[in-house]
Amino acid sequence: MSAQAAVHDMSSAQTVLAPRAGTAERGRAGPGKGRWDRNKWRRNKGALPLLAPAIVLTAALIIFPIAYAIVLSVTNWQPSGTLGSFAGLSHYAHMLAHDPLFWDSLRITLILYICCLVAQTLLGLALGYLLSLDVPGRSIFQALILVPSIIASVAVGLMWLLIYDPTIGVADWITGGLGLGRPAWLGDPHTVVWAFVLLDTWEWTPFMALIFAAGIRSLPREPLEAARTDGAGPWQTAWRVGLPLLRPIIVIAVLLRSVDLIRFFDTIYVMTQGGPVNSSTTLNIYGYRIGFTDLNMSYAATLQIALLILVIVIAGGITWLRRRSQVE
Amino acid sequence: MRPRIIAGYTAVLLTTASLAACGAGAGGAGTAAGGAKTVNAVLENQPFTRALTPYIPEFEKQTGITVNVQTYSEQQSRQKILVTLQSHSPAMDVFMSLPSLEGKEYAKAGYYQPLDSYVSNPKLTPASYQFSGFSKPLLDSERIGGHLIGIPINVEGPVIFYRTDLFRQYGISVPRTLSQLLADAKIIKAKSGGKIYPIAGRGLDSALPYTFGPFFHNEGLQWLSSSGQPNFDKPGAVQAISTYATLVGKYGPPGVVNNSFTQSSALFAQGKAAMELDSTNEISSITAPGSSQVLGKIGVFNIPAGPGGSHPTVLNWGLSMSRYAAHKKEAWEFIKWATSPQMQLKLALKGIASPRIAVSKNPKYQATLNTPLRKQWQQVLNVIIATGNPQVGPPAVNEPEVRKVIGDAVDQVMLGEESAAKAAAQIQQGLRPLVGTGGGA
Repeated sequence: MSAQAAVHDMSSAQTVLAPRAGTAERGRAGPGKGRWDRNKWRRNKGALPLLAPAIVLTAALIIFPIAYAIVLSVTNWQPSGTLGSFAGLSHYAHMLAHDPLFWDSLRITLILYICCLVAQTLLGLALGYLLSLDVPGRSIFQALILVPSIIASVAVGLMWLLIYDPTIGVADWITGGLGLGRPAWLGDPHTVVWAFVLLDTWEWTPFMALIFAAGIRSLPREPLEAARTDGAGPWQTAWRVGLPLLRPIIVIAVLLRSVDLIRFFDTIYVMTQGGPVNSSTTLNIYGYRIGFTDLNMSYAATLQIALLILVIVIAGGITWLRRRSQVE
Repeated sequence: MRPRIIAGYTAVLLTTASLAACGAGAGGAGTAAGGAKTVNAVLENQPFTRALTPYIPEFEKQTGITVNVQTYSEQQSRQKILVTLQSHSPAMDVFMSLPSLEGKEYAKAGYYQPLDSYVSNPKLTPASYQFSGFSKPLLDSERIGGHLIGIPINVEGPVIFYRTDLFRQYGISVPRTLSQLLADAKIIKAKSGGKIYPIAGRGLDSALPYTFGPFFHNEGLQWLSSSGQPNFDKPGAVQAISTYATLVGKYGPPGVVNNSFTQSSALFAQGKAAMELDSTNEISSITAPGSSQVLGKIGVFNIPAGPGGSHPTVLNWGLSMSRYAAHKKEAWEFIKWATSPQMQLKLALKGIASPRIAVSKNPKYQATLNTPLRKQWQQVLNVIIATGNPQVGPPAVNEPEVRKVIGDAVDQVMLGEESAAKAAAQIQQGLRPLVGTGGGA
């Protein structure tokens, strides 16, 4: 048996023999799961008063705002505060068929989402691995690299405004020194999105790295050692054993960043307000502008419902993949 | 079990309700402790507010009214004011408003408390207030739909500050026409070897129309034709866009499409730009002791004439009263005091250009015009007050969108992505539904 095959078998065996807590149980759930169970309800109805505060808070903070946004999106809201006439689905039709800026902002949102997520996941894995090593001063380094993620986003935006400043910024000084020219980072529609990818990657990679480092440290040692005993090299061990074991952690980290990235807002608002010429206008920035600058709350609500659907689709997709991989 | 749970919830509800009641009593409706009279104002952090604030204790002593001032930067104050008005909250009595921007929109929504009845009532407004002493165009800008929606607090307009030493060094004089202005910028760029930006100006889409306006009007055009349609289909509009985009884009700093007054004034004060195209207000920023490196080397002139003459833009902020204010009488007392002849003079002595004509002629104020820059500044301001066009952009209910349409198109020319002709066509098409019948929604 080749070392590679041994590694493959080992990882499969580990997955089958030692499933994560709760996964196999969920997979084996019998018929009737999720159905109304009168006896169960009778047994637990005493818990209802205890759940009431959570139910009331959820309704007030989540269900009501979403319901109100839906109501706004099907009416013609007036700045005087009245809901105005019923508009049906006309705002949605306008958004989908007659608003090129909606599609542009969706495209920019997705570009930022995909590029940031890929960069932060890959760099986070590499950095997380380094953080998981037992070296002197690890805890100090671990605390220091978290600094970008704990600075308020508005402060990060103001700081990077100076870094990207075309006259005094260090970014141009570096690219100029490297012979790469002096781009007007935030002033050029072709570079502004990449400038935000760089900023966001700097800000949030440490967060991903910390999650991955904790995940790597909690991995069982036996499969890794068994793979090495069978002759697998470091890369094969990491790729064939470590990564599959780490997959649930990666999925959780990706899910957390996804929800945050899709509603990209604060740094863009501080730095470019969506410009130049809408080239950094994400769906969230666009919705904000329509609502709070143009005072068109109905159309802003329509855009935010579209954003909500996007978040649900992406988060749902990732959750589905996670469950599927756990069942397998 | 059940009685205990019910009793527990009742206790929690009663405690919450009593706490809420205490909260309402303490700060509800903005009444100060002890039942004293109060006025709540939301102001923008700008020179007027900074100059006025130290005098507020005097007002409180004179009237017995406690003033609660909340000050925010431009975007934040705009948002705070809007949300407070949208929620019909009585928590804000007085707010700063820019009639040329949000005036029509707020008036349509019914957010402003009309001030006509306050001004015309001698018991509320004595003759000593000298209401007729305000500049008429500025007062007119505060009238929307026949109602007085605010009282002017300052006056400003776009001008060009310049470095007198650099103009001398490069052998150029103050331009008389827009063509000469472009020629001067070209000379500065060539002779400075690219070390000095010829001009710093506004490229940020929403901020650009304020300084672009005179370039458009100086081509002999009004924003709208006599039939109420945009005038961007005229040849002069293409020329105006081309001139502005060349001047600010080609001869401005890199990344200028994101710049507004903050960046322009910083560049000029640091000595990195030979000219700054921005508001008369910026004199305080570029002459601030300690941060300005160009003190004593600054001059100022009105935006030069074009083929259609010279037509500056005039702009003013106002103090308005919320329709939902809980303390309207006290709010009017505060507005009246802040805009009185006496207070306007005090503010003018601190560098706030007054909307009251008599203030600029006051000997005390004249004595402050003791440098060449201050004298020139007053001269250009007089021209703006006398001949300025109060429309910063084509008037519409959705004025922010109107300005964005213009700003985006001109920015595309600056970025070299569109020709001036295509940008003009784009603006014409974009503005039609916004300025058409009644300004759209």
